Amino acid sequence: METNYDAIVVGTGVSGGWAAKELCEKGLKTLVLERGRMLKHIEDYPTMNDDPWDYKHGDVITQEIRKQQPKQSRTGYVNSESSKHLFVNDLKHPYSETQPFNWIRGYHVGGRSLTWGRQSYRLTDFDFEANAKDGISIDWPLRYKDLAPWYHHVEEHIGVSGENLGLPQFPDGNYLKPMELNCAEDVLKGAVNSKYNDRVVTIGRVAHITEGTKPGAGRISCQYRNRCRRGCPFGSYFSSNSSTLPVAEATGNMTLRPNSVVHEVIYDAETKRASGVRVIDAETKEVIEFNAKVIFLCASAIASTSILMQSKSDRFPNGMGNDSGELGHNLMDHHFQVGAQGSVEGFEDKYYTGRRPNGVYIPRFRNIGGDTNQKDFLRGYGYQGGGGRGGWSSKVAELGYGAGFKEAIMEPGGWSMGLTGFGETLPYHDNKMTLDYDKLDEWGLPTVNFDANIKENEFNMRKDMAQQAAEMLDVAGVKNIRTYDAPYILGNGIHEMGTARMGRDRKTSVLNKNNQIHDVPNVYVTDGAAMTSAGNVNPSLTYMALTARAANHAVEELKKMNL
Amino acid sequence: MDRRKALKNIGTGFGAIAVTPTVVSLFQSCQSAATYAPAYFSSSDFEKISQLMELIIPATDIPGAIELKLPEFSDGYIAAVWDEDRQGKFAEGWKAFLTASAAISGKGVDQMNTSDWDAVLSKFLKPGSEISDAEKDAASFAGQLRSLTVNAFKTNEFIGENVLAYAPVPGEQRGCVDLMEATGGKAWSL
Repeated sequence: METNYDAIVVGTGVSGGWAAKELCEKGLKTLVLERGRMLKHIEDYPTMNDDPWDYKHGDVITQEIRKQQPKQSRTGYVNSESSKHLFVNDLKHPYSETQPFNWIRGYHVGGRSLTWGRQSYRLTDFDFEANAKDGISIDWPLRYKDLAPWYHHVEEHIGVSGENLGLPQFPDGNYLKPMELNCAEDVLKGAVNSKYNDRVVTIGRVAHITEGTKPGAGRISCQYRNRCRRGCPFGSYFSSNSSTLPVAEATGNMTLRPNSVVHEVIYDAETKRASGVRVIDAETKEVIEFNAKVIFLCASAIASTSILMQSKSDRFPNGMGNDSGELGHNLMDHHFQVGAQGSVEGFEDKYYTGRRPNGVYIPRFRNIGGDTNQKDFLRGYGYQGGGGRGGWSSKVAELGYGAGFKEAIMEPGGWSMGLTGFGETLPYHDNKMTLDYDKLDEWGLPTVNFDANIKENEFNMRKDMAQQAAEMLDVAGVKNIRTYDAPYILGNGIHEMGTARMGRDRKTSVLNKNNQIHDVPNVYVTDGAAMTSAGNVNPSLTYMALTARAANHAVEELKKMNL
Repeated sequence: MDRRKALKNIGTGFGAIAVTPTVVSLFQSCQSAATYAPAYFSSSDFEKISQLMELIIPATDIPGAIELKLPEFSDGYIAAVWDEDRQGKFAEGWKAFLTASAAISGKGVDQMNTSDWDAVLSKFLKPGSEISDAEKDAASFAGQLRSLTVNAFKTNEFIGENVLAYAPVPGEQRGCVDLMEATGGKAWSL
């Protein structure tokens, strides 16, 4: 096949799909490399219409699955029968842990864009200015105004439903009509919005079409099946497979090559640029080189960092772009699995229709100035949660068993309501990933080791997350409130980020304000690796916006003959 | 005959009318009657578990646990889904439950009849009974068995598609609606 291109994109998840779309639309002949198998929209979603009873034991994680996917199974939900094929076999793709880390991955075209949580929020200047204001780590090299138009651009293409609130810490966006709250959630909203002046309950902002259509592979409105994680035949939620890759394909400029394990970016000492990438064919093990004027690493934070670490040269003996020594450090995630839940009385004659693939959201209300500032921790958290009638009714306990009991379990249970906090993790230099050259994978490549954990700031925040959740439920009249703080393992948020951070100074960062490697300007890293701090909101939308912005920059630089 | 196909055929043959329990019994009777070889339980334990599950979810105008093969589902579920540790704890609970059952009925567990088992479940699952410290493990087992049975019932194809409110493609979402209008008072199966 052709080995020379204008651009190479490594990875096909949310970032890679966006890089492919933008670069192809701007006329660049683009090679898109994916380490996993080909996965086509709709035709490769074998479980998309399955009911739980289509599996012998229901849609659960069996011991057989656990044997193949012991680490993916730690989440307790991602790799059940209906979605196990979209997550890696841990035996084939091993990693090691000095401290436990959940690295949850899918190796196939589309990556985790097929299985993501779809919550889509913008960062704000509370986030971009945080490190500088707190005097920790390093400052972000950009501000909200730099990214805002790109958030708008991305939201317009993918379709995000939600409600604008006009809050400075939770910026408005370009939203399709919001999904509806259920009766119990309405009660929470009424109580919290009226009794607090710093808190608002709203519907989650999710990358689902709720009205009209969006470009791509025939994307239409959500059908409320809530089977998103298996791939959606309606293309209703954003995935690379339904949205960005079809648009890139339609330009005629994209060459997509699955089964291509990129392990090195090749450095040309003469031009002081990258000349291309080295690939191992996952099936034949053949080594191939592809060349391009510009390279986008969008392989996910850990994989992109791992590629840079393996890209050693005389100029970069410790890995490409690692003059600062920060490559692999400052590993972050969002910590969660802490909150409160309880039961809601009344509304026995009310129910809901449709399986809403979304919940309620309470935006950050800590450390945004004045009375909201906390003594015990920096930064903030938001809540995701929701109400429902999934449990058993009180009648069930009364009846115990037998014919009456059987009738009762066929009725909806009592209403319950829960809130789970999602908190910011600080960028600690000693939270890191490294490569282990003593443990090689099937392709002879070094494997990743993780050595990271949350610390005092996060533990203090967690106490507040549980307490405030319980307090808000109480304000809403929720009964039998229980708080919980489950042991959280870093990575379990599946928001790993920060290992090739952006910054103003090449001595303390890997990437500049345009996501270019400081001294290799034709290599852009636009996935989670680029994050200088984590913020407290789900990050995928930010990766997409950064990618679109960087792609635009790359094309402008190519026009100016700067690359 | 495959039950799913049978259901689909019924759907075609009878138009939109509901599948009555009698019809269900008819087509279920054409399934193979071969004896089930349990994966987790011993045969004699499986027989007792089946009796207990039938007491928990008895046949009414809707098939009960045995006809729905909930004991088979649960046996397979425990064997395939639970790890050794959890299986072991469940086995210990079962032992405690059998010991308590013998004490309550005054009979050997192999001699107990349906009304004896009913009395045991009544003690452990109905509210208001006094549970001694010695009976705590047995009572907790009864609760677990009930949860397993309910899980099997709700994961059952016939129940999910024909008895509970089934909407594989809802098409729309409404947050707060009248229960009777939405589902006639039934829970959604999905």
